[in-house]
Amino acid sequence: MEMKSKTLLILYATQTGNALDVAERIAREAERRACTVVIRSTDDYDANSLPAEDTVIFVVSTTGQGDTPDSMKVFWRFLLQRNLGSHWLEGIHYAVFGLGDSGYQKYNFVAKKLDKRLSDLGATAVVERGLGDDQHPSGYEAALDPWLSSLWSRLNEIKPHFFPKGPDFLVSNEELIGLPKFQVTYHNVDDIDSRLSTATDFKYLQMQIGRARSMSSGKVPHEKSKPDAFLKMVKNFPLTRASHEKDVRHFEFEFVSQVIKYEIGDVLEVLPSQSPAAVDSFIQRCNLDPESLITVHPREMENHHIDNNVNTLDVPIKLRTFVELTMDVTSASPRRYFFEVMSFFATAEHEKERLQYFASPEGRDDLYQYNQKERRTVLEVLEDFPSVQMPFEWFVQLAPPLKNRAFSISSSPLAHPTQVHLTVDVVSWTTPFKRKRQGLCSTWLASLDPEQSIYIPVWFHKGLLPPPPPSLPLIVIGPGTGCAPFRGFVEERAVQSQSSTIAPTLIFFGCRNENNDFLYRDFWLSHSENDGVLSEAKGGGFYAAFSRDQPQKVYVQHKMQEQSERIWNLLCEGAAIYVAGSSTKMPSDVMVAFEEIISKESGAPRESAVRWLRSLEKAGKYHVEAWS
Amino acid sequence: MDSKSERSAVLAITDDTSYAVTALNAYWEFENENPKRFDPLIILQASSLARLPLESYNVDLVIYISRSVEFPFDELYAEVFRVLVPGGSLVVYGLQSGTKEADTAMSAIEHKLLLAGFLDGKRFHLKSVAHSFGVKAKKPSWKLGSSFAIKKKTKKNPLKIQMDDDSDLIDEDSLLTEDDLKKPQLPPVGDCEVGSTRKACKNCTCGRAEQEEKVQKLELTMDQINNPQSACGNCGLGDAFRCSTCPYKGLPPFKLGEKVTFLQPTFELETDGSFGQNFRFLDTSKQVRSAPCTHPRQEFSSLSLPCNPQD
Repeated sequence: MEMKSKTLLILYATQTGNALDVAERIAREAERRACTVVIRSTDDYDANSLPAEDTVIFVVSTTGQGDTPDSMKVFWRFLLQRNLGSHWLEGIHYAVFGLGDSGYQKYNFVAKKLDKRLSDLGATAVVERGLGDDQHPSGYEAALDPWLSSLWSRLNEIKPHFFPKGPDFLVSNEELIGLPKFQVTYHNVDDIDSRLSTATDFKYLQMQIGRARSMSSGKVPHEKSKPDAFLKMVKNFPLTRASHEKDVRHFEFEFVSQVIKYEIGDVLEVLPSQSPAAVDSFIQRCNLDPESLITVHPREMENHHIDNNVNTLDVPIKLRTFVELTMDVTSASPRRYFFEVMSFFATAEHEKERLQYFASPEGRDDLYQYNQKERRTVLEVLEDFPSVQMPFEWFVQLAPPLKNRAFSISSSPLAHPTQVHLTVDVVSWTTPFKRKRQGLCSTWLASLDPEQSIYIPVWFHKGLLPPPPPSLPLIVIGPGTGCAPFRGFVEERAVQSQSSTIAPTLIFFGCRNENNDFLYRDFWLSHSENDGVLSEAKGGGFYAAFSRDQPQKVYVQHKMQEQSERIWNLLCEGAAIYVAGSSTKMPSDVMVAFEEIISKESGAPRESAVRWLRSLEKAGKYHVEAWS
Repeated sequence: MDSKSERSAVLAITDDTSYAVTALNAYWEFENENPKRFDPLIILQASSLARLPLESYNVDLVIYISRSVEFPFDELYAEVFRVLVPGGSLVVYGLQSGTKEADTAMSAIEHKLLLAGFLDGKRFHLKSVAHSFGVKAKKPSWKLGSSFAIKKKTKKNPLKIQMDDDSDLIDEDSLLTEDDLKKPQLPPVGDCEVGSTRKACKNCTCGRAEQEEKVQKLELTMDQINNPQSACGNCGLGDAFRCSTCPYKGLPPFKLGEKVTFLQPTFELETDGSFGQNFRFLDTSKQVRSAPCTHPRQEFSSLSLPCNPQD
């Protein structure tokens, strides 16, 4: 409560990472002024809490045709609610910095609208909004630098309580290099050994993961640091033909820990393993001892106290295990600040120069080409700058966190009570510099042999596809791996149909070739026959579009058009629509197909069809889960 | 309603206490029905009711009698759908002060009926009761999950219903002013030269975009692998230092004059003589398109990745 009012909140909405870079820079500048900050992505923040904040800094980018980034969609819709009224944010202070590109017509629209909306809701601007322009010779920094200095001086005037050390207090950049956010304590092996060797099974692994991950986030361990369960792979087979350019796998897992109850449409998160050789190279490159026992905690700052629970973090962990479980050194690209900090530790002059250039506004595009576009890893960057020896504390702070990967579950717990199935595209691509890259998690899973019985740490959670009751008619669109959750739906309905009546299900699937990547072909076809849940006799149907089997491309939306009347009839019976798959163009193409179908079959104008679909969405009858 | 059975099961629900019987009678009168045929179960003060204490497929007719505009709730529609027999009807009936308000209320009700799966929504007004309005709709006559033949429907088009679903959101375009539509003033720089760090405009017309495209990767010769040389001295340092036309782009750092080795698993030599990352050896008898960085230094200033930013 009292704490709250002293915290400056930074909310960002980013598409390519620039807004996050800016948000992080604002956070660092605040901390240099002894101001306590919390930094959050808009999809990680409940807009309901806004009226309880003191001051909020927004950093938002504008994408494509003037749209908000995906991570801001829900937040923005919340703010647009008419009934919030003009006093909702009364007493709240805010500032908005936008990132845009004046090469586009709808330049920085998101920041402009957000600024106006916040003020309409009663909030007070600390400074006039800042608008960064990618077309400016110095990029967005041209606008950011002056905006930030006026932000700090205005905040000092009207909110002095943010700056307990006074308006002139400022830790210099050089001093900051001596102050990483984390503190690493090395422990004597003899003291700890007995504690480490007691448990050996997955319980121990579970504790290790929970410990490592809560230490690296600098937070009190909470339930989600520890995996919900461990799985063991029992089946791993390809769903695509070996010669095909795509490699999609079907994985079946069994619980080795207690069975977790899940529902169809749920999402499984997997913590991937990094290549042990690469982890070793990283540790060697940084001159670290992999066997040393460490604890990691947030550095004690003079102006705020560490949580009392810090003791619970005190059980040491092997350095190698910590790196392996929390620091992504082999697949994700480091952020821009990583290069800035590296420049302080480079001893070779040409390396220092290059790193400073990368960290400068002028070097930002080149860094983008070298780093993000190439998916350069921390390990690779270190190999390019051999003179840099950075303290481990800085790596803990700046290495990209090893993230869980989320997959739609493709099995029904009714059909497989002790199993979970996934349908995974094993990702690989070539960068602009012609380097081969592979997805960390999918490649690792595909490499697992069910004979090995490796424990896979997993978490279960709700996705965007709620389980439909058996009585609800369904229209389902799942091209490619988008069919995964719907395999679960069909399995579930097939089991339910043995004891009760099931509403009709129409499924639209799409792939490139009937003979190459028709995922689960036999499964779909067998349920379409003999009164199966997808059979016409049950009012159902399965339709597949093979985009490359004929000169012109045929996609799911074309197959939907062919079944226009059936779709319309089922919609009239109150059907719900489920869409899953690639986020690029498919969901909007499918939406357009529905608009056309509704308009054509009902004879109503297109505009009414659009409204009708929107009302379906609002009524919780139009669900989309898309991934890139 | 049109059931031939002696008595039909009727459920009346109201958020009001006293008004129900009068309202029911007015409705029987309107439908030309004999009230004695019915033995309605009446639920009073149902404004917070979310579930009905009845089995599924149990009731022929449900009548909502609504005093407040909010009543009935969305959940209740689904509940009514559940308890009605296939082909059963739902009547939502209420009072409004004006025709405009009644219209809005009916639109909202029709919308909800549709979403809950009801068919054949019809509006009506009771002549005997001033300011009354109502909507009547039917549950489809098949049980959920039963198979049915697809036939062209003759029912009322649900799209005729007027809806204004987004009325609870403000129009976000109204948040923009005239000034917001204007483009910013940028400092006037001759920025069309390839090589300054800025990139081509998305709708480039000055030819910069094309020129940038020309900056493409060159192919390596066997000799360049076995005995790498570099005029600029940067080729061996790794991608972070290489210029944009450097033939070694994409390769790990190496020592000049020493055969380039590929330590990382992603750079394995494949059996067809190419590297796993698509580097092809050129037959040295063929014309070599470019030797690494032998071009005079000035040229680098015209490349988008300068050899040395301080130049």
